Amino acid sequence: MKDLIRVRSLISAEIEAVLNQQIKKEAYSSSIYLSMASWCDRNGFDGSADYFFKQAEEERHHQMKLYKYVLDMGGTAISPEITNIKIEYNSFREVFEDALDQEVAITQSFKNIAAKCHKEQDFVTMEFLNWFLKEQREEEYKARRALELFEVIGEEGTGRWQIDKHVGSIKYDSEA
Amino acid sequence: MIETGSASSSLTEVFHTKHGSVQQCDKSHQWLIEFAGKSAKFDYRCLLKLKKAVYSIDIERALLDTAAVPDVEIIFLCACEHCYVLSVAEVIALKELLQGTFVMLELNHLITDCLNRLVY
Ligand SMILES: [Fe+2]
Ligand SMILES: [Fe+2]
Repeated sequence: MKDLIRVRSLISAEIEAVLNQQIKKEAYSSSIYLSMASWCDRNGFDGSADYFFKQAEEERHHQMKLYKYVLDMGGTAISPEITNIKIEYNSFREVFEDALDQEVAITQSFKNIAAKCHKEQDFVTMEFLNWFLKEQREEEYKARRALELFEVIGEEGTGRWQIDKHVGSIKYDSEA
Repeated sequence: MIETGSASSSLTEVFHTKHGSVQQCDKSHQWLIEFAGKSAKFDYRCLLKLKKAVYSIDIERALLDTAAVPDVEIIFLCACEHCYVLSVAEVIALKELLQGTFVMLELNHLITDCLNRLVY
């Protein structure tokens, strides 16, 4: 008997399902960053608003990358519904704390998908995921560095103004 | 799996229960589902849609909440010519048939995958 499902799709139903969940998570990330950009802009933190606008676009790009992969492999990519986006933050610092939490959750989620790929011996999807695993190094690094500015510079006096000026210049340029 | 590879039909039985059966046609890439006195062919997309539709029926609710829910479930699949009107008991039977079918297809996939890797 021919393996007809394999003929139609390279990825299993389970991998397709977790990739669709990840599509939703990336879309959520994009929305939450957009919301952070809005809060920063409203509160006079222009540098941080720019930073989060850029992050929002990057997350959208991640979403599209996953979306197209699912389709290219013969699966059904599902356009997600995003709700429950936080609008108000208690402080400038809280925005960056949330951003780091979000990136840590995303890294964890990719680790779970990678574990599933190993279990199924889906080396093709594993290879595709490597790009995201590497990307998460940068994403977590940047979020962590941004939060560290609050310790290094301090929030007193013109501290917040300085933090806002420096956020945009955080770069990850590891050769590793 | 029994191969019934005569000239007229290249159907292979995937799974059967006492209520129905699913056969695969390697030539047309379709599955023939015999169920509830009806014989219908499904391609890959429609089979997945049928699975999704049947699995998403809340059987527990249909059984317990007899007043709120009508006794029949209508399974209508988008862009697919077939439609089922089933009682709750039939829904359970169809679900059982599909679950067995997908287990067998998965098993077939695992075996095919292993054999292919040995050969190539
Ligand atoms: Fe991302
Ligand atoms: Fe990110």
